[in-house]
Amino acid sequence: MSQMLSPDMTIAAEAAVKAKIEVKNLNFYYGQSKALKDITLSLPERSVTAFIGPSGCGKSTLLRVFNRIYELYPKQTAEGQVLLDGHNVLDRSQDLNLLRTKIGMVFQKPTPFPMSIYENIAFGVRLYEKLSKSEMDGRVEQALKRAALWTEVKDKLNASGLSLSGGQQQRLCIARTVAVKPEVILLDEPASALDPLSTAKIEELIDELQADYTIVIVTHNMQQAARVSKQTAFMYLGELVEFDRTEKIFTSPREKRTQDYITGRFG
Amino acid sequence: MGEHTVASFDEDLGQISKLIGDMGDLAGSMVGGATKALLNSDQALAQRVVSDDAIMDARQRELDDRAITLIAKRQPMADDLRHVVGSIRMAGDLERIGDLAKNIAKRVGTVGLSVTPRDLSHSIDAMAQLVLIQVQGVIEEYAAADAAALAKLRNDDERIDVKYTSVFRELLTYMMEDPRNITACTHLLFCAKNLERIGDHVTNIAENAYYVLTGTQLPANRPKQDETAMSAPAA
Repeated sequence: MSQMLSPDMTIAAEAAVKAKIEVKNLNFYYGQSKALKDITLSLPERSVTAFIGPSGCGKSTLLRVFNRIYELYPKQTAEGQVLLDGHNVLDRSQDLNLLRTKIGMVFQKPTPFPMSIYENIAFGVRLYEKLSKSEMDGRVEQALKRAALWTEVKDKLNASGLSLSGGQQQRLCIARTVAVKPEVILLDEPASALDPLSTAKIEELIDELQADYTIVIVTHNMQQAARVSKQTAFMYLGELVEFDRTEKIFTSPREKRTQDYITGRFG
Repeated sequence: MGEHTVASFDEDLGQISKLIGDMGDLAGSMVGGATKALLNSDQALAQRVVSDDAIMDARQRELDDRAITLIAKRQPMADDLRHVVGSIRMAGDLERIGDLAKNIAKRVGTVGLSVTPRDLSHSIDAMAQLVLIQVQGVIEEYAAADAAALAKLRNDDERIDVKYTSVFRELLTYMMEDPRNITACTHLLFCAKNLERIGDHVTNIAENAYYVLTGTQLPANRPKQDETAMSAPAA
């Protein structure tokens, strides 16, 4: 395990940025079944980190621990520490609503609310802030611009969010996440249901957003991980097998299991 | 290394490896043939080397096509990616070795060994043997995936450089002794320089092969012993 710890230390040192999220000895259980095994890694601030691995390896589970969204379901428990700016988000005293404003999430399938494009953005903001009409208009516009959707929807803000194309709906979800001013954005296969052009727009967006946010992306598309992320973690059977600079992982990984997975030799 | 889940991926990579092997064999045969033709004034053999160059060029084009198609179809990663990109580069060096061997072969008619002193042909022969061992060795060690042997082979180029320096001085001496030797010796000098350049291409191949096999680069600096540049007139 100690071998595994050194690369992420190197990443934080090389990038000369502080760790936004530090995971320490994290174990996760679905009932009796152990889904994450002693995970330790640190994610640098304002940078994109990709999690890759075969289905069931624990990458989405790890993502779901960061904002404790797993607690919506019974019999799911996490042990260990997940430090957000040094504060353990797994503490019982952690305010979950506050946590989820700091750590936003976008899912594989676009999930716009069945309401107008404008309300899709404003709804979340209203839960945390009291804004005047003009301030809210400004916030909605800013969020839609941030998600590269503004020019496409500015003339139909009252149309239903569900009337948009799949790619637009996903960008609406990203706008909704950005509108509440999070610090971390979790993306769980955000482009896997999208066509190549929409995927390219999402990737361009990720590239722009990393200037302001710490981004974690789970993806089955290895080329996508290679394109968008600065560091990549390979997980297998609930273990963190290798965590290193993305170019290192995809050109000369250290571990044989990583090599076998990314080259398509997995038994 | 295990097999890919998609079996045709292994076949595609295998075809690229086979082409590198074929080009390596051809390069060895061309270098050996060119020097033999030079030392024996064998016009027929020289002609065969010249025509072999067209085969070498065709193999390189085939390898380029296969490698680019493979990248487009499979998006190779890690060792597969290094294998494909490394093969493209190695094929480039092998093709240049073919060109240099052809250039030696084309000089066979002009040199005419009658004016070449026996000692000199020994020197060039010895240099050619060193080069030939390197050309054959680099492809063998790559096929055997022996990274340590490749690192050693790359440093062995130093011996060719030393030999070239001595042939260069020897040729100058013959030219000064009798100006009638100048034409033949100048051609021989080009041949020796071509052999020295072939050694450099072998070095490139060894460095690429080492990277393909290990994922790490050999140190940038290696021993250099070609002193002829230093003995050239300043102007």
